[in-house]
Amino acid sequence: MASSRPKVYSALVTPAIAFLCLATVVPIAAVIALSFGDFNIAFPEKTRFIRLYNYARFLSDGRFINAALLTFILVVVPVVLQLLCGLALAIALKENLVGTRWMRASFLLPSIIPPAVGGIVWKLFLIPGVGGLSYLASLFGHNFEADLLGSKTSALISVIIVSIWFGVPIVALLLLSSLDSIPDEIYEAANLDGASWAQAQWHISIPLVLPAMGAVAVFQALEILGIFPVIFVLTGGGPAGATEPLNFYAFLTAFTYLDLDYSAAILVAFTTTIVGVCFWSIRQISATRVGR
Amino acid sequence: MRRDLGRHIYGYLVSAAFALFLFSPILWTLSTSLKQPTEMFQWPPVIVGEPSAQHYTAIIADKDFSSALINSIVVSCSTIILTMALSISAAFGISHLQKTAMRRLLTLVLALRAAPAMIYIIPYFLFFRQVHLVDTKIALIIVNTMFAVPLAIWYLSAFFDQVPREIEEAAMIDGASTLQTMTLISIPIAKYGILATAILIFIGSWNEFLFALTLTRDDAKTAAVAILNFMPFEGTDWGKAAAACVLMLVPIVVFVPFIKKYVAGPTTTGSVKG
Repeated sequence: MASSRPKVYSALVTPAIAFLCLATVVPIAAVIALSFGDFNIAFPEKTRFIRLYNYARFLSDGRFINAALLTFILVVVPVVLQLLCGLALAIALKENLVGTRWMRASFLLPSIIPPAVGGIVWKLFLIPGVGGLSYLASLFGHNFEADLLGSKTSALISVIIVSIWFGVPIVALLLLSSLDSIPDEIYEAANLDGASWAQAQWHISIPLVLPAMGAVAVFQALEILGIFPVIFVLTGGGPAGATEPLNFYAFLTAFTYLDLDYSAAILVAFTTTIVGVCFWSIRQISATRVGR
Repeated sequence: MRRDLGRHIYGYLVSAAFALFLFSPILWTLSTSLKQPTEMFQWPPVIVGEPSAQHYTAIIADKDFSSALINSIVVSCSTIILTMALSISAAFGISHLQKTAMRRLLTLVLALRAAPAMIYIIPYFLFFRQVHLVDTKIALIIVNTMFAVPLAIWYLSAFFDQVPREIEEAAMIDGASTLQTMTLISIPIAKYGILATAILIFIGSWNEFLFALTLTRDDAKTAAVAILNFMPFEGTDWGKAAAACVLMLVPIVVFVPFIKKYVAGPTTTGSVKG
């Protein structure tokens, strides 16, 4: 009886794992195959094998190079800023001061609203002259009417700020749970030794959450390009490609220009790079942990 | 005394700054959704004028958007059911396997989910086009389930790990089969965890944009995409878009307190072995 149980458990696991493998491995294999082909959606029977031709097109495609560069910027800059802001917020919320506790219950909101809604919310906020930002500026006596989404640099900065807005709550929550697990005795001991609050944060809180930050960074890097809907709504990749990362460019290539095989090549290159870097980072992080 | 002061200054200053940053765009949307058209362009802008529900009545009366809202609800609820059907037994099984096998399976599940969603749009689009399921809710439900199952397995196996083994063993000694033990003992004990997981699946499906954009045209469009219909091209009438945003936020706001502990990921619930 007891020996037959593991078989039952394996049988319970099988359907979900089989579904998952089927629904992920097969499509990815199909994309990889497509990226080596010359495929026209109107004449699928004429598909030819053209080896690495689609990948060779990268080199002469200025828009691809621009998008690759932007992908790098849009992953690295927001993740770093999310970690810094998230840490600042987590330290503030850990104190549980009177009047800030409501935030513990609600600050998570931006991270879990529909990204398309987030895009519209920010678009409304940034309308030149009559948006929320102009209203806030008017409270401080400024007359702010600039069109932030209209010029290349400010549009990119806006997208970065919006992706920080989306990510900070989750990062702060993760770091907060790590901060909350630090025993109070450590702070009390520091207090007895005459350390100020700021010194205690610098010498206790930050070093103790630092190991968690590496894992959070990898997690966020994988998530960050999920802001596709935001870019779609907020800037449409513009102006002039200033906010067009690779996944957005691949989307347009596939569904606006119907160049599916080239889009597949972009997506394969993009996915391999981002997943590869993230897995490599996880290995590095766990290696240093074991090394200690 | 000086020490306490630094703590208070920092705590209040940073909390206030983030409260402003995180909530002002959402509050501005709420304010816009209640404004009269004439108040939209007032200078200096107003935050609350004479509240009016006209934008809400307009979008509810809008057939396209109300049917999209219903689509969103149907797709999200069906995704919960299908995902649970696949994941509950799988998670129960994984939670009872030996540690090494369990860890390997959970890693596999996570690895399968690591690729960005964008890589799947072309193959799914071609597949559903081939089988004539483009612009159907079924296609969206399948895709959303694919994204929900890995997460559900992670959460649920963590919750099943918390069910005391003695109770399960007692049931088995009394002659219950594995399936009976699962349905009659473990699932009722883990019901709050299962509920939290269901809410997370709902939110994931409710928020899904990319596939709803590429796999639907008219009939199966969900609210997350239909909301774009209200975006004016010439910056005039933002009231409807704002009201639609607020409606989309209602279920999310209602659910936040129930899932707050779990949003950050199953690894932080602290009960995953390994």
